[in-house]
Amino acid sequence: MMRGVKNPFWRLFVNVSLVGWAICVIYPLVWTVLDSLKDNQQFLLGKPWDAPKLPLLWSNFSSVWMKYHFGSYFVNSFVVTAASTVLAVLLSAMTAYIIARFAFAGRGLLYYSYLMYLMIPTFLGIIPLFFLLNDFHLTNSLLGLVIVYTVAAVPFNVFVLVGFFRTLPGELQEAAAIDGASHYAVFFRVMLPLARPGLISVAIVTVLNIWNEYIFALVLVNDPAKYTIPVAVAVMQGEMQYRTEWGPLFAALLVSMGPVLVFYTLFQKRITGGLTAGAVKG
Amino acid sequence: MKGNDFAGKSRMKRNLFIASFIVPTLALYAVFAVYPMFKGIYLSLFDWSGGSESYNFIGLGNFKEMLHDDVLPKAIRNDYILVAGKVIGFMILSLFFAVALTRLNVKGSGFYRTVFFFPNVLSVVVVGVLWRYVYNPNVGFLNSFISLFTKQPFDYAWLGGKWSIFALLPPSIWAGIGFSVILLVAGIMSVPESLYESAHLDGATQWQQFWKVTLPLVWEQVQTSVIWIVVTTLNGSFVIVTIMTFEGGADNATQVMGSYLYFNAFKYGKFSYGSAIGVLILVLSLITTVALQRLMKRDAIELS
Repeated sequence: MMRGVKNPFWRLFVNVSLVGWAICVIYPLVWTVLDSLKDNQQFLLGKPWDAPKLPLLWSNFSSVWMKYHFGSYFVNSFVVTAASTVLAVLLSAMTAYIIARFAFAGRGLLYYSYLMYLMIPTFLGIIPLFFLLNDFHLTNSLLGLVIVYTVAAVPFNVFVLVGFFRTLPGELQEAAAIDGASHYAVFFRVMLPLARPGLISVAIVTVLNIWNEYIFALVLVNDPAKYTIPVAVAVMQGEMQYRTEWGPLFAALLVSMGPVLVFYTLFQKRITGGLTAGAVKG
Repeated sequence: MKGNDFAGKSRMKRNLFIASFIVPTLALYAVFAVYPMFKGIYLSLFDWSGGSESYNFIGLGNFKEMLHDDVLPKAIRNDYILVAGKVIGFMILSLFFAVALTRLNVKGSGFYRTVFFFPNVLSVVVVGVLWRYVYNPNVGFLNSFISLFTKQPFDYAWLGGKWSIFALLPPSIWAGIGFSVILLVAGIMSVPESLYESAHLDGATQWQQFWKVTLPLVWEQVQTSVIWIVVTTLNGSFVIVTIMTFEGGADNATQVMGSYLYFNAFKYGKFSYGSAIGVLILVLSLITTVALQRLMKRDAIELS
């Protein structure tokens, strides 16, 4: 009996702590749902943990979607996230494949110049980045965000995928080359399909990071028509210092959380695996 | 001759292939990531407020100005309160949870791992809005709960006081701890069971096993988590601060370096001073990570 605690007091303590923390995590999500269906009266007179009164105010959601324009913010976020993820995964897979599989001068330098980015605070470059994009007329533009997000996602993805490509068997690559396949064919027809599990892992992490990103989106976009959801939520809350509409605010939180919640339930194992990749040896 | 020619051709093909795969990405990376960073360091040596007309080299002038800045020390202090609070809070809680979920045979370990990690995939914006509501003086969760036990309705403004930076610690820990739990769980699971068996045979209690076996063998993951906390806090505290306390709280009570940079640059147009703060964030985060790595250095334990 190596595992387990015998002392009943400790047993209870451990279990209560775990249940307690689980409640701390789940409960706020429950009242986000409950509170998104209330009107202001219920917030001011009732308690936060009260169930919403009937009839449930589903109109909070339509109000957020239409009146607060979250419908179009959702589209903006979706477009930016999808485009940046596809680009970032493709570009980093190409770079990672070369670093993992080909010897050439400057290979180490290339690899470490990407790794360096992971240690350097984003804030160092944010002011020049704003002016750079401004010069290219890429501020207030979803294309600008796509470029910035793609570039920002490449270093971590390269780091993970280099490790992944190194674990793939080399014989297939050689066999395909002997059969006269071009380098491109070997990559796109043989290596990329083999690397699918790794690609999916980095894609999921990239999707989450971009869907949730706030700092770049705040600095690079001022035009309300181009807001992504995190910026829109922040702006909405900022306006509510003066005129609070709690119900719609919680409905907006759910619009932001919904896709993440679905994504997490579907890919939980891969998400935790992808994020901790490389941090744990063996 | 002919063979040589062939080899040369295939070598060229190979090099062209390599170049076509790495150069476009590298070019984008150089322009949109590397160049802005060096430009940030360069700008910090000028007095520049956005236009092209006044572009004066002032050397370390911006850094000298920092010495007379009353807000900056507060911002640095707040960043380090967050770093220290998060390191301590994360490590105690996540070591406890990680051990509980691996060594203590509790039921539902997989469920807890899934749940504990969930806040990590939420946007910090969402986390901030949720917790701002928790702290709301009148309708918020915390005060409503405390009011159940007091005669008068309790209406303390958690985010409005002098020390409200500490109120930002619970949301940060709530939102981030899942990552270090997962990391430590993976570390503990890679410790060979035989080590625990022999510790057990030697009569070591769970508590002794933790100190003598678990902690030394997951020390690498502890280090990784701590460095990760430092880097993400100094770089990312901006978000939780501006979402929960807007412009840095009452009398800059929650101002951090990131938010101070942002307001200097994008609100007051002091772009070069903002860049200098960016350089400061870089220098402090490098010094802190190197110092912590030294401090936490232990002889690596090799398993043979």
